[in-house]
Amino acid sequence: MTILKSWVINIVNLFHSVKDENLKWQQVNQDAQAKLKHARVLAEKALEAELKKKSVKLEHDINLLKTKHDAELSMFKTKCKQDIKDYKQYLASLDQLKASIQVSYTHLPEAVAFTIHHHAKYLLNKMWEAEDFEQKMQHEMQLIRFMTTVHEDARLYLEGETKDNLPERTLNLIRQQ
Amino acid sequence: MLGSAMLLSAFALLIIAGVWGVSKIIVRATLDYFSAKQRAQRRWWFVQARQDQVKRLFYFKTQQIKYFSELNRKRLLKRNNRKHIQSLSKAIDKDLQSIKSKLPAATYQQLQQDNVRFRKQQDIESLLKLQQKISTLVSV
Repeated sequence: MTILKSWVINIVNLFHSVKDENLKWQQVNQDAQAKLKHARVLAEKALEAELKKKSVKLEHDINLLKTKHDAELSMFKTKCKQDIKDYKQYLASLDQLKASIQVSYTHLPEAVAFTIHHHAKYLLNKMWEAEDFEQKMQHEMQLIRFMTTVHEDARLYLEGETKDNLPERTLNLIRQQ
Repeated sequence: MLGSAMLLSAFALLIIAGVWGVSKIIVRATLDYFSAKQRAQRRWWFVQARQDQVKRLFYFKTQQIKYFSELNRKRLLKRNNRKHIQSLSKAIDKDLQSIKSKLPAATYQQLQQDNVRFRKQQDIESLLKLQQKISTLVSV
């Protein structure tokens, strides 16, 4: 029992001495600790203020971005609508091309008129689907050349300057392409 | 008796210390979670996520507009193709009618069925071949 008692007393003493040491250390380093705490609080406040400032700025930027996106989307929509209108007009003018060649060559088989019209549509789609601007221009030139040749053939036949029963120059152009 | 009492008290002490420690950690974590710095940090992350969302939304809206525009264009093209295929098919039918008397009934029927089938399938190549075939039959 006495051994246990002395053992407990020893432990309590040890605990007290550790506490004493700790107290002494805290006394010595009180200033440094207070400074450290103060610096930490200041740093946290500064970080918080900076984050708040950045958030407000970013929110403002987001609002600007939204406005910009809305304007761009509206423009893009208008452009797409215009593109569709242009495409419709192109199709109408190709239909007209077919009609005009059928009017000029009265005995032109429907299959030939169809082939000419179909080829013109193929060129139009190639032009439309080209990703590269240069390629687009190239296909546009091809289409314009083709349409001009068709009109030229029709004109020459109407004016009696050619005796071919078929628009040979146009058909040659189709064979080449 | 003393031994078990000491063991029990030691266990009780251990449990109390554990509960105390855990509660302290929970309280500290809760306070930290709702501290001004953490709130500002979360706000910043939220705003950043919103910016990404706005950018993604713009991209997908652009894609959507492009998709519907392309769909409209394809629809126009399909309608136009159908119109011209129809007139080609009519011309083929007319040619067929004109040589009906010169053809065996089975051949005529077969050619007419082909014409209707190719028209329904919107098969341009086959329709043109059919037209060529009929022209050859006419010239013979």
